[in-house]
Amino acid sequence: MSGPQRLGRRRARLRETAVSLGMIGPAVLLYTLMTVVPVGVALYLSLTDWDGFSTAAFIGLDNYKHLFDDPSSTDAWYVTALVAAFGTALMVGLGLVYALALKAKSRTNSFFRAVAYFPHVISALILGYLWAAILGTNGAINNTLAKFGIAPVGFLFDEKFALISLIAVIVWAGFGFNVVLFVAALQTVPAELLEAAAIDGASRRQTDLRVVIPMIAPVVTVATVLNLVGLIRAYDIVVSLTGGGPAGSTQTFTYLILARSFEGTKVGYATAQAVFLMVVSAVLALLVTALRNRQDQAATGG
Amino acid sequence: MRPMWRRTCALAVAPLVMASAVACGGGSDQAAEGTTLRVIVNITPNLTEKYWNDLFAKYEKAHPGVTVKLELTGTVAADAKLRQDLAAGDPPDVAQQITPTADTAQLFADLSDQPWAAKTPLADQYAIGGKHYVVGVGEQIQSLVFYNKAAFKKAGVNAGAIRTMDQFTAAMGKLKDIGYKPLQTAGQWVTGGQFSMMADAGVLTADPKWTAERNKGKRSFADSGYLPYLQHYKGWIDKGYLDKSALGLTYADGQTAFLNGKSAMYIMGSFFVPAADAAKKSDGIGVFTMPTDGAYPSGQFGNICNPYVVVNKSRHKAEAISFVKWATTDPEAIRSQLASDGNLRGGFTYPMSSLGTSVQKILDKAPSVIVKSGANQPIAGFSDELNKQVQSLYMGASPKAVADGLDKWWNSQG
Repeated sequence: MSGPQRLGRRRARLRETAVSLGMIGPAVLLYTLMTVVPVGVALYLSLTDWDGFSTAAFIGLDNYKHLFDDPSSTDAWYVTALVAAFGTALMVGLGLVYALALKAKSRTNSFFRAVAYFPHVISALILGYLWAAILGTNGAINNTLAKFGIAPVGFLFDEKFALISLIAVIVWAGFGFNVVLFVAALQTVPAELLEAAAIDGASRRQTDLRVVIPMIAPVVTVATVLNLVGLIRAYDIVVSLTGGGPAGSTQTFTYLILARSFEGTKVGYATAQAVFLMVVSAVLALLVTALRNRQDQAATGG
Repeated sequence: MRPMWRRTCALAVAPLVMASAVACGGGSDQAAEGTTLRVIVNITPNLTEKYWNDLFAKYEKAHPGVTVKLELTGTVAADAKLRQDLAAGDPPDVAQQITPTADTAQLFADLSDQPWAAKTPLADQYAIGGKHYVVGVGEQIQSLVFYNKAAFKKAGVNAGAIRTMDQFTAAMGKLKDIGYKPLQTAGQWVTGGQFSMMADAGVLTADPKWTAERNKGKRSFADSGYLPYLQHYKGWIDKGYLDKSALGLTYADGQTAFLNGKSAMYIMGSFFVPAADAAKKSDGIGVFTMPTDGAYPSGQFGNICNPYVVVNKSRHKAEAISFVKWATTDPEAIRSQLASDGNLRGGFTYPMSSLGTSVQKILDKAPSVIVKSGANQPIAGFSDELNKQVQSLYMGASPKAVADGLDKWWNSQG
């Protein structure tokens, strides 16, 4: 190969590299500006005593230490864990059952799928107020009970019942999204597999458990991760349904950060709480994905 | 290849150009249309969005070229909304319902050079280092017990004779015996708020510097007058004088329940009067000063009403100060704001109902108005924690555990 040819090829390669960099440049720039920089700033602020307006002073890990001796944090984590664990299990479980029940193509099934998805398109804040009007002491249910001389049921004023009500409303509002995901995934299950199962004499339950669900397992994992991370950040329904009460029994960690820490002057501490929440969410998401991958590997003998 | 290279560069630059265009937008409308003052307000059952718009329309009429825009706070409190706006680099001009502290004073315009500012109600009590950052329209008192006159008559209870906590408890017993729910409460902030209205009257009359001393770590809830009040409160829950189901009511629902005669007594501030007036129930409702375990009558736990601050970073500071001066010194604006929320101010009268007049008499006889400001301001977030802890009494927590919980929380925030 002659010198000019080699030079030409090198120039072409350089140009291609420049074009590639130019193509991904805007995305990298926007990602850096909108994600990397804010997270970096949050990390920095979490190590300061910033009050939201004056100059921030570096205080090392004091905010993170305070996270573990703040009684409000401990209570809020307990509530958050219950909401995330039960909420995710119920949203994924019910979504799966609902999708399997309505997987066949028919107008009735389409209608019921739409009904399940409907709450998801309404603001969670509005859903909370709506259910507060139904479940509250003066709500539709208790008013009806009162007409029969029955004492009000503590859907929202009894500490244990209030948490159950909160989880129930969250599940009702969110499981429709999983239904859509699962129904879409069910369409991808090869028909020949279902035929083979039918020829082998598998019942519908056996087909669902042994063939269909394993085939859509990656989608179930995605739904689990999305639900888990979403519920760890539950805030808007809490605000409108229970306001964190009674006695803080439905106060989630995000509610604590937004409604209490940021309302005070401890922005640095609130940011540390937010960073901690981000880390917990990431660890849980990775953990679920890793467990799923291990199961997949075990199933395929990999 | 050259056109492709150009296209790539154009693609890379486009988002930046768009972002710059968005960033540079806004603000130009003000230059063309005069001054727009953005005012953060809190909306309450008395102070509705319509009320504020009507009030501000009067200012706009008297000051052509100035538009006063209401800034609603949504689900957060006024100070959180202000903080959000400041963090976003979009400061409002004026904010209401914010009490500056030594830490936050720098956020607000120092109004000490305004001769009118020092003459506004409670100006000295709210001064920080002798400087006036907040000015109010009047004052509210909150250590009040409103009662259903018909229920009291039926139970044979003389409201004027209730001076101690034991007499208060005995009255509740009589009211329960004739089928009334003795004391009305509600969820949201009301539970802790009512406890504060009750206990502060006794504890802070006896020890006006209690909060300042608590801030220094020299007082505690567990070893002070607050514990007996928690015990009284817990006793009322246990005897069925307070209803756990009320925790599922909003502030407005609780108020309506009392107005509709479902309960016999309601601990609330003077701002309850306009609600009773609006419901045309004032004549059937009486009021007495909060009984205590100590002095009678006690000092009234009170606060500045309709407090205004001018935000230091306001782009229209002079106009904002002028607006605040109008809101706190113009006789018509003052009367409107006093009447709207049942507030009081020396030298200003407005047509009052019998209930409003009774509240005025209680204020006249009160030995002091206890204000939680300056060094006597509790640590940030305390009212939320108090609310949570008082509600936990309904869940079976003991008064001692609540007092310890409050101390533990306060100490952990240091």
